[in-house]
Amino acid sequence: MNYPFWDIPILGSGWVIGIIAIFHVMISQFAVGGGLYLPMAERKAMRMPEGQLRTDWLKQLASYSKFFLVLTAVFGTVSGVGIWFAIGLTHPEATSTLIHNFVFGWAMEWVFFLVELTTIAVYYSTWDKIDPKLHLTVGWVYAGASAFTLIIINGILTFMLTPGGTWLGVAGTGHEASKFWYAFFNPTYWPSLFLRTCVCCALAGIWALITASRIDGDKQPELKTSLVQWSVKWLVPSFVATPFLLVWYLWMVPASQQALLTLGIDTIGSGTFSIITRIALLIIVTSATIVGVAYFLAYRNPRDFNLSHAIAILLLALIATGAGEYSREMLRKPYVIGRWMFSNGVRVPYVNRINQEGYLAHSNWVWNNSNSSYSRGEAIYRGECGSCHTLGGYRPLKTLLAGRDRANITSFITMLHDYKPDSPYRRFMPPMTGTQQDINDLTDYLNYQVNPPTTVALKPVQTAQK
Amino acid sequence: MTSKAIYDWVDERLGLSELAAFARHKTVPVHSQSFWYYWGGISLFLFMVQCFTGVLLLVYYRPGADAYESVRQITFVMHFGWLIRSAHAWSASLMIFSILVHMFSVFFMKAYRKPREFGWLSGMALLGIASVFGFSGYLLPMDELSYFATKVGLQIPAAIPWVGSAVANMLRGGPDVSEFTVQRFFALHVVVLPAIFLPLLGFHLWLVQRHGNAAPPSEEAKPASERKTMPFVPNFLRKDLAMWLISLNILALLASVFPWSLGKPFDPLAPAPLGIHPEWYFMSPFEMLKMLGSVLPGEAGEIAGILLFTLGIALWLLIPFYDKNKESGQRARAANYFGLLAVFALLATTVIGYWTIR
Repeated sequence: MNYPFWDIPILGSGWVIGIIAIFHVMISQFAVGGGLYLPMAERKAMRMPEGQLRTDWLKQLASYSKFFLVLTAVFGTVSGVGIWFAIGLTHPEATSTLIHNFVFGWAMEWVFFLVELTTIAVYYSTWDKIDPKLHLTVGWVYAGASAFTLIIINGILTFMLTPGGTWLGVAGTGHEASKFWYAFFNPTYWPSLFLRTCVCCALAGIWALITASRIDGDKQPELKTSLVQWSVKWLVPSFVATPFLLVWYLWMVPASQQALLTLGIDTIGSGTFSIITRIALLIIVTSATIVGVAYFLAYRNPRDFNLSHAIAILLLALIATGAGEYSREMLRKPYVIGRWMFSNGVRVPYVNRINQEGYLAHSNWVWNNSNSSYSRGEAIYRGECGSCHTLGGYRPLKTLLAGRDRANITSFITMLHDYKPDSPYRRFMPPMTGTQQDINDLTDYLNYQVNPPTTVALKPVQTAQK
Repeated sequence: MTSKAIYDWVDERLGLSELAAFARHKTVPVHSQSFWYYWGGISLFLFMVQCFTGVLLLVYYRPGADAYESVRQITFVMHFGWLIRSAHAWSASLMIFSILVHMFSVFFMKAYRKPREFGWLSGMALLGIASVFGFSGYLLPMDELSYFATKVGLQIPAAIPWVGSAVANMLRGGPDVSEFTVQRFFALHVVVLPAIFLPLLGFHLWLVQRHGNAAPPSEEAKPASERKTMPFVPNFLRKDLAMWLISLNILALLASVFPWSLGKPFDPLAPAPLGIHPEWYFMSPFEMLKMLGSVLPGEAGEIAGILLFTLGIALWLLIPFYDKNKESGQRARAANYFGLLAVFALLATTVIGYWTIR
């Protein structure tokens, strides 16, 4: 590992964030939705007439809260720290911008997170030990705290896609934090918040189906039927409102970003960024299937609903969530922070300066001023290409540039450098920044990778690794 | 007119209530191996996807000299053409996979025994036709990969003693794979094979309705009072449809994340690219022939290979006629070992085949 160029071969560092983030989102959104599910279910049970069903519901909820505690407090917390670790290594510039602008936001987030962790531990450990009304109140505090973690993180996540004109007006002046609330309540804040709230409720229902499916329908038919059917109802807001909320969300996204979704309608050509369309299609198919399976297998047939059905729904939800998060990330292209920072960490207003003074002169990271063109090219590749590409794995440059000779690779990089308005790559790739020397150095490095010399006289000096 | 009146009108003419009564009385055994009952339905669903996507591809595909260009347009120009083509190609592979799973589950549950012999035989015929569907469809894009893979694949019929080269020549429409081969394969793929497959499929489904789902010997050994069943309508049907939906999702995932691409146009004068191999479901026989060829080079190897294949397939096909011990409900160990040997041979030769092309 060579901080901050976190070189992950084959997978690419972006996917490391992606895998942790998808896992984390599944759990953290469940924590928010489940935070509401638990006290609502407890209140429903407390309103039931005294009897076996009421007792069974409460017993089931107590066991569910244990599962909930372990899943959210252990796996949610570990994966949350994992995201920080990964984004700090993969995108130090973007992480730095987020910390500088939202330090107050992160502080609030961690306060609510601490309250959330504390209350869920108290909630789980005080079943039948404190007054039921007080226990329910603890549940409501937990629900409120977990909802606030979403309310805050949503402002920071949506900022990265649509920071808004007001914040962009002060970006780079050192007064960015003065526009905190403008950045926080950015154009996609509200549609995203409602969208995520619906998803949280759906995930709460889906995870609850996992535990409900394990109840023996022959031994406890009334409990299983009522719990399965009640849990399925948690999917309803999501599937009624999501199509409208998605339209609202996309409406608020700049037109250039909206257009990314259409790139793959007519092609799967290599290097055309068609993947975003294809992944977005998956959200529709998997979501529709969850509706069908949840209704026909769970709601209509609750007693026969078993663990394998519930796991099938959960896996589909995992695909839908993963596809949704992937599409959201990809919608930001070619930026990591909309219209301010390109996905390779180059700030938009700095492009001209870097083009005049050279990329490496502005690289904040380890650099030993080698005279080897290959070595300089390697450093430029890691800084300018490595956030999104690998050499031989995910988005492999060896494959994408296959068949091109040195001259051809030079003209391709020059096209990325010139970044003309009609360039098709402009829609999803940042410009290649730097001088003519930088173009030559990057070409040397990539040409060596794509067209390795058949007889190697001297292996190039790989000083950029030091 | 109320909906009941409409139903009565149709019922009087088509006898819907008889069908409904039949469906109400039909049951499916419930036991620890019930999961395997869904694979026939999954195969049927994937075949329907094949038909639907195939008809859509037919609208733009042009066989003959224009084949490659038309597939290029479908993949890189038409709106969602790539999706339809990818769904067609992936569902073909998934269908053959699910038919194989269905076949082995029928074999190990001994669902081929009296009175289900015709169900077994018709199912085997359907698998054979499905693989010819796959083989004929693979050439249609006429890119470099499909051209050379078809050349390699045609080595299997060409290895048949005495008539092999004539059969291969007839399939190719000449001594080599060309646009005439595409024309022939296209006719086979969209006219001849469906004309045989569809009635045979109807016959197979009718037999399933007639005899119902077979319970494995371990279930048959139980007294009737201990055996569980579920109604076909709506319980089993509901689960069957859920499996179809899940299959659709797997198909959508594969078609979206790994869309079927198109290589360079074929050039008969160019050398075969490295690593050319037949589709996965032909890898096993291809590898077996290769192995026999290395042990027994020349014509002797070809003859031995074909004889061995013929013997193996005949033994497999005729299993209902020599493994009949239904009454005792005991497991016929020899048949089970034969089945396990077949699974092992298929898997091992497929893995070796892929290993050796790396």
